[in-house]
Amino acid sequence: MSVLHDFFTVFLQPQLFLLVGLGTFAGVYVGAIPGLSVTMAVSILISFTFSWDVYPAISLMIGIYMGGVYGGSRTAILLNIPGAPSAIATAMDGYPMAKRGEAGTAIGVTTVMSFFGGLVGIAVLALAAPFVSDFALKFQPRDYMLLAVLGILLVGSLSSGSLIKGIFSGALGIGIGAVGMDPLTFTQRFTFDIPLLTQGISFIAVMIGMFGVSEALLQLHNIDLPAVRQKIDKIVPSFGTVKKHLPLSLQTSTIGVLIGALPGTGGDIAALMAYDHAKRVTKNPERKFGEGAIEGLVAPETANNAAVGGAFIPMMTLGIPGDAVTAIMIGALFIHGLNPGPMLMIDQPHMFWFIVGALVTANFFMLLFGLTGIKLFTKIVEIPRAFLIPLIMLLSIVGAYAVNNSITDVYWMLGFGVFGYFMRHYGYPLGPVILGVILSRLLDDNWRRAIISEREDLGRFFGGIFSSPLSTVLLITVVLIFVSQTPLWTKAKARLFKKEATE
Amino acid sequence: MDADFRGDADHHDGTSDATPGGYADKRRPGEAVFALLMTIGSAVLLWNAYGISGFEALSSPGSVPMATSAVMLISALVILAKTLRMKTAENESLLKDIIPVVVMIMIVLLIAFGILLTPLGFIPTAALFLIISIKLLARRGWPMTLAVALGSLVVIWLVFRIIFTVLLPSGIVPEGEMIQYFRNIFASGAA
Repeated sequence: MSVLHDFFTVFLQPQLFLLVGLGTFAGVYVGAIPGLSVTMAVSILISFTFSWDVYPAISLMIGIYMGGVYGGSRTAILLNIPGAPSAIATAMDGYPMAKRGEAGTAIGVTTVMSFFGGLVGIAVLALAAPFVSDFALKFQPRDYMLLAVLGILLVGSLSSGSLIKGIFSGALGIGIGAVGMDPLTFTQRFTFDIPLLTQGISFIAVMIGMFGVSEALLQLHNIDLPAVRQKIDKIVPSFGTVKKHLPLSLQTSTIGVLIGALPGTGGDIAALMAYDHAKRVTKNPERKFGEGAIEGLVAPETANNAAVGGAFIPMMTLGIPGDAVTAIMIGALFIHGLNPGPMLMIDQPHMFWFIVGALVTANFFMLLFGLTGIKLFTKIVEIPRAFLIPLIMLLSIVGAYAVNNSITDVYWMLGFGVFGYFMRHYGYPLGPVILGVILSRLLDDNWRRAIISEREDLGRFFGGIFSSPLSTVLLITVVLIFVSQTPLWTKAKARLFKKEATE
Repeated sequence: MDADFRGDADHHDGTSDATPGGYADKRRPGEAVFALLMTIGSAVLLWNAYGISGFEALSSPGSVPMATSAVMLISALVILAKTLRMKTAENESLLKDIIPVVVMIMIVLLIAFGILLTPLGFIPTAALFLIISIKLLARRGWPMTLAVALGSLVVIWLVFRIIFTVLLPSGIVPEGEMIQYFRNIFASGAA
């Protein structure tokens, strides 16, 4: 009974309900405007909602997350510019449809399918998370440590090509997170005897710098890119179209939830994998993939929205983020004095059910805003970047300042902004940095707990790992990701493929 | 996705060329210097991490920092070696593709914003920043520039100062009195 009550918290409090709606609305547009990203919006918002209660703050952020994952598809279809990374696959068939004058149909199908995928994701979250958290109670500190390493590695290896740069970024993030006073022994770490550094570096400053300012600086390269107008007519898709693609959408939603639930992998990877899956299983598409196949829209859009629910599973049950946005959400929960992990599910189950309720609400709002407001949408997307970029920068500065009322944080933010700008230019992924910063403490604590409980003996530590199936699997996965990047693996693969080719 | 795709996941600017992320087989201008700086930085961090508690114990406060900075150093060295082996992308130059003048100006403006924020206060600093940067970027007439800059500043100030109750340095502007003035308007409106 109390579960139901917690679930309906959002519906019973008009203020929360409206905030979710507002967030979703903002998210759709933030996601749709190229140059604004959901990660950017959520990281800036953490600092603004800092003084709020936790429910309203989370409501707003969930709305933005859900809306943003969907919103990216709009510009992908209309302009061939994915508004968010999760919409990269959507552009492949969405844009060809728009070129044929079927932009309305494409947007309609996308919206309904995103809604469907979102629901599947949330349902899995609601059903699976309590089990996962029960299971997580049995996790040893070493498992947490391995999971954290795995999460950072997965972000590094999957979200961009160069794993070695991903590893560097992840380690850098852990290092940034370690700056300051060690919480257990009060030893100073990476402070270089500078008093300013003893307090550590505010992770919000790092986030806003890396996702706000660096992105804005990068957008300066495309300041003169013209806005494109498109004519859109009928949007709401026919029931027949939806029904026809239901089997496929169920499969791709499942892919989405699973990928989303893996620590470190989010909607962008889910969407690409689902697209690939659709290509393989669709025997007779009405049109070829890449030339406007509806299946090519259904697959990525169900998957990326299903991944939202999936991403919350490790976040809520283990405190390990499913992607960059959930990493930032974890930061938000920290700030509000909550500690995501199995204990949160047990101590404060209402928080979990509240989040599930808010996700459902956001999903319905997404459907509503997705099928309406096209006129307004075309206007907003045409706002020149020359106006937007200074505003993003201003918001970033205000956001960095607002958390601690400290000008030092503004300088950190600017420093990481410029640093992140160069990292982006040279192909270093930023996601692992944020995951590293967020997971630094968890990794450090659990490593020390694990090794102390094994009496500082590495032999016993590895003995412990191999005595537990879970730890063994985690360790093997981590090792495999490393091995897959060494020349040894490439050679082995080449040999294998050669064999296949000759056979 | 191409296994060698080095682009950033947030690559959604619509340009299919190298910005951002670069090429799989070519070196961008300044990339080698950046990789070298990362290597030196990692080495300094490793040295510093060693200074925290040395090899005292596996559970010492310095063990994770040492492990991470060692990983950083190793990966930075690998990246450096890979980068040095690549050929330079000939169609790019540092000033045109990596840090064009407009980016440098914006960075300077941002730093100036930070320096002026406390003494001058949020409203004048933000107004200056928005007017200069919008004028510079949009290259529109003064009326348009001023309207957009000041109009959005008012909205931002109202939203963040009043709805989000974010405290910003007031500096030379009597912000408290202004807020009281607004409160009075709303109070008398409600009465």
